[in-house]
Amino acid sequence: MLECWTMSYATTDERGCGGPRNVEDRVRVVIAEDSVLLREGLTRLLTDRGHEVVAGVGDAEALIKTITELHDQSALPDVVVADVRMPPTHTDEGVRAAVQLRRAHPGLGVLVLSQYVEERYATELLAGSSRGVGYLLKDRVAEVREFVDAVVRVAEGGTALDPEVVAQLLGRSRKQDVLAGLTPREREVLGLMAEGRTNSAIARQLVVSHGAVEKHVSNIFLKLGLSPSDGDHRRVLAVLTYLNS
Amino acid sequence: MATQYGPQYGQGYGSQYGQGYGPYSGDGFHDGGTGRRRHLLPAGLRAPFEARSWREFGYVLLSLPIGIMLFTYAVTMVSLGAGMLVTFLGIPVLAAALAGCRLFGVLERARARGLLGLEVAEPEPLRTKKPGVLAWTGALLKSGSSWRALLYAVLQFPWAVFSFSVALTFWALGWGLLTYPLWFWVFPMWAGQGGIQLYGDGHHGIYLDNPFEITVTALVGLLFTLATPWIVRALTTVDRVLVHGLLGPSRLSARVVELESDRGVVVDTAAADLRRIERDLHDGAQARLVALAMDLGLAKEKLAEDPRAAARMVDEAHGEVKTALQELRDLARGIHPAVLTDRGLDAALSAVASRCTVPVRVEVDLVERPAPAIEGIAYFTVSELLQNISKHSGARSASVDVWRTENRLMLQVVDDGAGGADLSRGSGLAGLAERLDAVDGILVVDSPAGGPTRVTAELPWRR
Repeated sequence: MLECWTMSYATTDERGCGGPRNVEDRVRVVIAEDSVLLREGLTRLLTDRGHEVVAGVGDAEALIKTITELHDQSALPDVVVADVRMPPTHTDEGVRAAVQLRRAHPGLGVLVLSQYVEERYATELLAGSSRGVGYLLKDRVAEVREFVDAVVRVAEGGTALDPEVVAQLLGRSRKQDVLAGLTPREREVLGLMAEGRTNSAIARQLVVSHGAVEKHVSNIFLKLGLSPSDGDHRRVLAVLTYLNS
Repeated sequence: MATQYGPQYGQGYGSQYGQGYGPYSGDGFHDGGTGRRRHLLPAGLRAPFEARSWREFGYVLLSLPIGIMLFTYAVTMVSLGAGMLVTFLGIPVLAAALAGCRLFGVLERARARGLLGLEVAEPEPLRTKKPGVLAWTGALLKSGSSWRALLYAVLQFPWAVFSFSVALTFWALGWGLLTYPLWFWVFPMWAGQGGIQLYGDGHHGIYLDNPFEITVTALVGLLFTLATPWIVRALTTVDRVLVHGLLGPSRLSARVVELESDRGVVVDTAAADLRRIERDLHDGAQARLVALAMDLGLAKEKLAEDPRAAARMVDEAHGEVKTALQELRDLARGIHPAVLTDRGLDAALSAVASRCTVPVRVEVDLVERPAPAIEGIAYFTVSELLQNISKHSGARSASVDVWRTENRLMLQVVDDGAGGADLSRGSGLAGLAERLDAVDGILVVDSPAGGPTRVTAELPWRR
């Protein structure tokens, strides 16, 4: 039941926010989703923003096959958007395929979508590196701009973790006494950091200055006893490792 | 070709009686490869040469030495234990006696399986709450199966003596007299008489010495030889009863096993239902709502710049909502139809029938309503059968009848389709039969190829 089609999108007409500013920023996406309804919706959502959906497939096997073919043509996409639950077993083949693809193609961004988010799956996806990984609830597609932002972030090697996963990680962490020492604002910033946002994105979200965010971040690192790292995605991993340990 | 399922007929008793072998009937035997081949000789003449007869004869012969051992062991140990009961020491001795009898029981069941082809399940295992010798001793003394094994040890011995003597006498007499023509010469040569002395009082005797008498003797021997297997079989029938009754699981524990498996089915069914509901939600309404949220999200963004495109998206989203509502309604009905709770089987089944692709006549003849659980099972049975009719039967019309006899709720679904429905072929029907079995119900499928198909279900009115 390999369903595969290709389409490209002319990037000449006007686009909404979240779209690429230049043609070079256009993200090439492969979508793996068994529900035709959602697959078409996602395609429309992304093409509407000026991104290119290279292929859409209905199951994990077809996804891996498509990516391998694209790799052989040296036309690897920037990011794969995959549903967790797909035929034939309707369990977690999306996650398994994502892990496999990440191992085979380290440069490929993988964004996993799911009706439910499980902290366990996030841990599996993030194992080793948080570069170019995303794990979001399907509901997040409703916030079109944020969702497309997340796709672009993952495509560019960033991280996009669902707030619910972060909340699960924070709630489950054994470092509760240390976490309790953070101010409410710092907890907020920690959460956004764990979701994979950059300092400027955090500043935008909380409507504070860039400098204020930087101050919060260094406070958090100080209180958690982590050495501040420069790269955004490395800092996600540091935070997650801390929460998970 | 009616296939019946249910506790009385189904696999429920399989464990108790082995592979459908009756415990007492002689036919419970794997007859060493002779199978159902046609024989040249009738069963009566064949019996003395059959492997089965020899195995049974062997069983009876073995019974005596085993019986002696078992009886001696049991009586010695029990009297020793009973005698020592005044001191504390009697209890462990008694426990050892019972443990030995249980062990003998294992061997005896194996012997019965090997030589009589009698499958007897193991009795219920000892249930100890705590580990340790004391708890084990207590459990041994309290368990009924240990004492039944002891009773077997005591009862088996006198029967073994009797059956051994009878069987050996008949066997020896039969073969001895049958072969008399071959060895009667021994008498004139060595014993100083013409043949076997049939009667003698000192003055005169009757000897079997002329050809006619010798022939008659051989014929009598033949009769004995032919009768011996049947006599041995009759004797082993008592052994079968003993082994089955005293060394197998008690009736209560067999029922427990049956109920445990029923409970397993119920739990599995419930879990499968939950999984199905989750799947339906995930693939249906939830996916629709995500698509809907996506459409509305897009529309929201488009509102300022392209109101017409936004209006089109809102329109699509509106359609999605209506479909999602429809799917949720179907799903809710699949979990439990509201009309069944409100108005009972008649109304609910009419609704199911109206959704069937085939015209269905529904007749519910009930004065009062059965228990809600039974009503629910009846409803889902009929709706699954009607779904089958819609999908597979190719029928032109169907009918559903529901009525009550005594304390059973009866359902009958008939269609004029192609027939050939079968319980055994891993179909939905087998699942249905299992579900009914779990509440002590029965499903009978009568579906000759070419139709018509008649499925009758019987449910307890209340439990």
